[in-house]
This record gives sequence, structure tokens and C-alpha cells, in this order.
Amino acid sequence: MAKKELSELGKEEQKLALKLLTPTLIILLVIAIYPLGQVFYTSFTNRTFAGTGTTEFIGLDNYQKLLSFSIEELEPVIDEETGKIKIDEDTGEKVFETPIQVLPRQPELHRPVSIFSFFGNRYVIGAVTPDFIKAIFNTIIFTIFSVLLETLLGLGVALVVNSEFKGRGMMRAVMLVPWAVITVVSAKMWQWMFQPTRAGLFNMLLNKFGIGTGNFSFLTNPSLQMPAIIAVDVWKTTPFMALLLLAGLQLIPQELYEAAEVDGASKIRQFFTITLPLLKPSVAVALIFRTLDSLRVFDVFQVLLAQKRYSMASFNYFQLISARQMGMASAIGVIIFILIFFFALAYMKALGVDTE
Amino acid sequence: MSKTQKRVLKKILFYFVLTIIVVYLLFPFYWAVNSSLKSQAQLSMTPATLIPRDPDTGEISIFTRNYFAIFKNGQFLRGLVNSSIVATSTTILSLIIGSFAAFSLGKLRFKGKEPALYVILAMTMFPQVTVLSGLYAVINALNLSARFSMIFTYMLFTLPFTTWVLTSFFRDLPKEIMQSAQVDGATPFQTFYLILLPLTAPALVTTGLLAFIQAWNEYLFALTFTSIDVSARTVPVAIQYFSGEFARQEPFGEIMAAAIVVTIPIVVLVLIFQKRIVAGLTAGAVKG
Repeated sequence: MAKKELSELGKEEQKLALKLLTPTLIILLVIAIYPLGQVFYTSFTNRTFAGTGTTEFIGLDNYQKLLSFSIEELEPVIDEETGKIKIDEDTGEKVFETPIQVLPRQPELHRPVSIFSFFGNRYVIGAVTPDFIKAIFNTIIFTIFSVLLETLLGLGVALVVNSEFKGRGMMRAVMLVPWAVITVVSAKMWQWMFQPTRAGLFNMLLNKFGIGTGNFSFLTNPSLQMPAIIAVDVWKTTPFMALLLLAGLQLIPQELYEAAEVDGASKIRQFFTITLPLLKPSVAVALIFRTLDSLRVFDVFQVLLAQKRYSMASFNYFQLISARQMGMASAIGVIIFILIFFFALAYMKALGVDTE
Repeated sequence: MSKTQKRVLKKILFYFVLTIIVVYLLFPFYWAVNSSLKSQAQLSMTPATLIPRDPDTGEISIFTRNYFAIFKNGQFLRGLVNSSIVATSTTILSLIIGSFAAFSLGKLRFKGKEPALYVILAMTMFPQVTVLSGLYAVINALNLSARFSMIFTYMLFTLPFTTWVLTSFFRDLPKEIMQSAQVDGATPFQTFYLILLPLTAPALVTTGLLAFIQAWNEYLFALTFTSIDVSARTVPVAIQYFSGEFARQEPFGEIMAAAIVVTIPIVVLVLIFQKRIVAGLTAGAVKG
């Protein structure tokens, strides 16, 4: 009798639990699962937004267009008169073929992404959609450097703030400030500091220290774009990283340090044998968390570089809104999803789920 | 070197590093404030000055008209109103719906709890950009207004987040509270809204604040969904497309003034709820 009543209660609990979960599940179904299915489906079609043509199923064509690339060697040009390798008279360097001559034209024209030298030979990377291959590169470089710098700087800040000093609470408040700023706003603030004249902070400062003539164009010079954008992101997210690591530091029992002190271990030794190993889980979680975020970076790229240089996400936006290529944009979305999916798996494994 | 000398040196070094950190974190703000108090002529002075100065005499001269200009400018005020409506609505909806789910996941026993938890956790990492084209199609098909689209789609990140964080708060509440309420004849749902919900009020405030900041910050969806309806632009989009009253180029003086105006309320909120935010952030990201 009592047992039956209990299971009756259990059943009721089960019913209530499902009822309470339903609204969340329905909403997620409509704004996440259904659009995701739609994106997967659309990525196999040539659908355009507000286009007049009919939508056709084109299989993997979008993916092929986005991802196919080729690496070809550029042969040195032979001078027809002398039969020797042609040397440029101005620079004294060998003359090579132009990329157009060697890159495949069938079934789709490959256009050059970049040219590099390796063991004296010269190669060209070509792709059907050079902008997307570049966007993948940009996103990966952005992710590696910004996450690395944020972690190192964040760890430094966390270690400093973790020690006892007057005004520690104040310091922690200061750390939250860049985190709380709207990303677009912080990008705008930095854009103004990056002005290509001495009206901009960085050119003014560099010029004062005798570097350059005060006209570095950080956002238009291709070799300065990535460092500039990484600097903006590092400034904005270092505090967040520091806060996560600080929380990890505070979990390390003080007794360990006291014991090490008694044993005469130096501070540096303590850092490598106590702090770092025990902080590893926090660092791992923070790393994956930030990597997931960086791989889908949009705001800073869109505001600071727009069509000058893409991240994967800003290229997706461009394909959808400006080029109106819905099929193509969907395929990009799927590629980003798959990339992030693997990192998310690692993250969930690191986190685990606690049911009780 | 004596021991005291060494200690003093260490202290000096420590405060030196601390100062560098503070300058690094706060200088961009100072620069924005400084620039927002300059006229167009002062902004184009080379080299740029650390405090607003008169271009001819070099005397300190502060120009406040940028601040008046942005409030006279409809696009900025409209952006503030839109952002407030969108972020507040999304936050409230996510808190209500999310706390139901969180109670269920944190305190009730039922089959399929583990997969449900994994789905929620996975959703907190969902790359919004992936479904951009799909959502755009859904919204166009349903003919939703831009503001409503944003309120609705922002739940893609605020709802899993609030659910996940609140679940861990509910789980930490002692079981005895629920049991004693049940003995007194309360149904589980009564226990939830009469007893547990008031106890989680602080957690609701923190989670709500964090969700609000996320929604207030959002750019990708806002940019996409307001591309047809300019009047629905939120603050980030409005600031990006800011066009000034007189300036031919981008009016950076006004943009910086707008940047300061939208940042101050958030900073004040963050400073008030400082401790709770740190706890909430770490619960969201670190703790399972």
C-alpha cells in the first residue's frame, strides 16, 4: 500500500518534471533544432534569398566550392633567347610563372589564396572561394593567438590579484569593467585608437617613441590587421579569463603552500609543483570555453574589418545578407557547426553532468 | 641587501605590476572619455592630446556638445529604447521559463534527466551563426517584426544559460526543505513557487543580470534581423551605423560619447553586483 502510494507520487513527480521542461524544449525546438535541420537541408541546395530562380538540390556542390583548394608549384620562367632561368633586372630575383598559369580551371576556376616559398621552390595555394579559405585561416590564427595571450595574461592577472593587498576588492571590480563593455563598443573605441594618423593614440605614441612616421594603417595594412584585431579581443576577454582562473586559484588549499614553505621550497618551485598542476582543470575548462567562443568570432571582425578580411562567421553573414546566397551561407554554417561540435564534446567531457 | 630592503623592493615591484594592469584595463576608457570631450577640430589635431586642448592656444578646453548631440539624435535614443525592450523581455522570459526547467532538472526525479541535462549543456555552446540563415528563413516565413524576432531568438543563448546556472542553484538547496513541505501537504509545484523560488531570488538576480548583459551585447542577430527595419536597431547596431550631425567622416566624438553613455549603466550594475556576478560566471562556465 505504502509502496504503491510512493510510486504514485513518483509518477506524479515525473509528470510534473516533464510539464515544466516542455516550454524550454519547445522554444529550443523552434529556434535551434528546426533551423539547424533547415540549414543542413539548405546547404545541399542552391537556394538564394528573395531570388527568382527555382531552388534545386545540388548535393555537395556548395561544400566543394567552399573547401576545394589546390597547391601547385610555380616553375621559374626560362628565357627563350638564352635558355637560362630569367632573372628580374630590378630585384635580381628569379622570375616565376603567374599563379593563373598553373592553377586548375576545371571544373571550377581556382584563384590564388597565397604564394609561399619552400626550399627554394615557389608554390601557390589556389581555391575556388579564396575568401572562405582565408576566413578559415584568419579564424584559426585569431583563435590560437588570442586564446594563448588571454590565458597567459589572465593567469598573470589572477596570480597578482590572488595575493593579499589593500584594495583587492577594488581591483576585482576594475577587472570586470572591460568584460562588461559591449563588444561593438569596445571595437569602436579601439578603432578610434587605431586611426592611421597621429590623431590616433597608437600612431601618436609610436611616433613619440620614434617608431614610424605616425601613419601606420593598422586596419588596412594586411600584415597589421590580425595583430590589431587580436589586441582588441585580448583586452576585452583577459579579465574574464582572469576571473575564471582566480576562482580556480582560490580552490587550492592554503595548507599546501604552508607545507611547502616549511620544506623550504622556493616561490617559483611552489608555482610549478603546486599552483600549476592544481590549476590545470580550471585552465582546461577556460581554454575550451574561450576556444569555442573565438571560433565563432563575429563582432570585432565585422566592425573593424568588414569586407576587408573575414572570419568564418562574418563571411557567413556576408554570403547571407550581401550576396544573398542562402545555400552557400548554410553550408558555411554547417562547417562552423561541425568544427565547434568537436570542441564542445571535449568541453562536455571536461565538465561532465551531475544528475544528483 | 638587507631583509627589509628586499621586502620594500618586492612591494614596489608588486604595486608597479598592479599599476600596469590597471592602466591596461582602464586606459581605453580614459581615451574614449577624453575623445568624447573634444570637438571635430580637436579630434583631428596631430599629435592627439591626452586631455582636450584648444588647437590654437593649447589651453585645456572641454567640449560637451557631443553628449547633447547624441541625445538630440533620434537613432541613438531609439537604439537605447529598442535595446532595453529586447534585453529586458528576453531576460524575463528566460528567467520564468528557465526556472521551471531548472527546478525540474535540479530537484525532481524523472526518467531522461541525464540526456535532458546534456541537451541543455550542449545548447549553451551552440554557435548562433550556424542557424543564422535558418532563423532568417523562419522569421521571414512567419513575418515576425524585427523587435519580436530578436526577443525570441536571443533565447537561443539566454535560455540554456539561465536553465543551466539555475539548475545548479536548485540542486544545492537542501532536500529537507522539499520533504518537509511535502509532509505539510504541499504539491511539488507549490513547493517550487512558494518555498524554493524565494530562496533562489539572489540567484535569479545574478543570472538575470548576466543574461541581460548577453542580450544587451548581441550583435550578429541584431544586425541581421534589423537589416530590413532600421527603426528597430539596437544600441550596438546603432553605434556601428552612427552618422553624425555635421561630420562628413565617422563622427568619432559622438560615437565615443555614445560609447561612454551605454557603458556607464552596465559598469554601475556590475560594480553593485560584483561578487554575485563572479559567482554566477564561474557557476556557468566552471562548475557542472
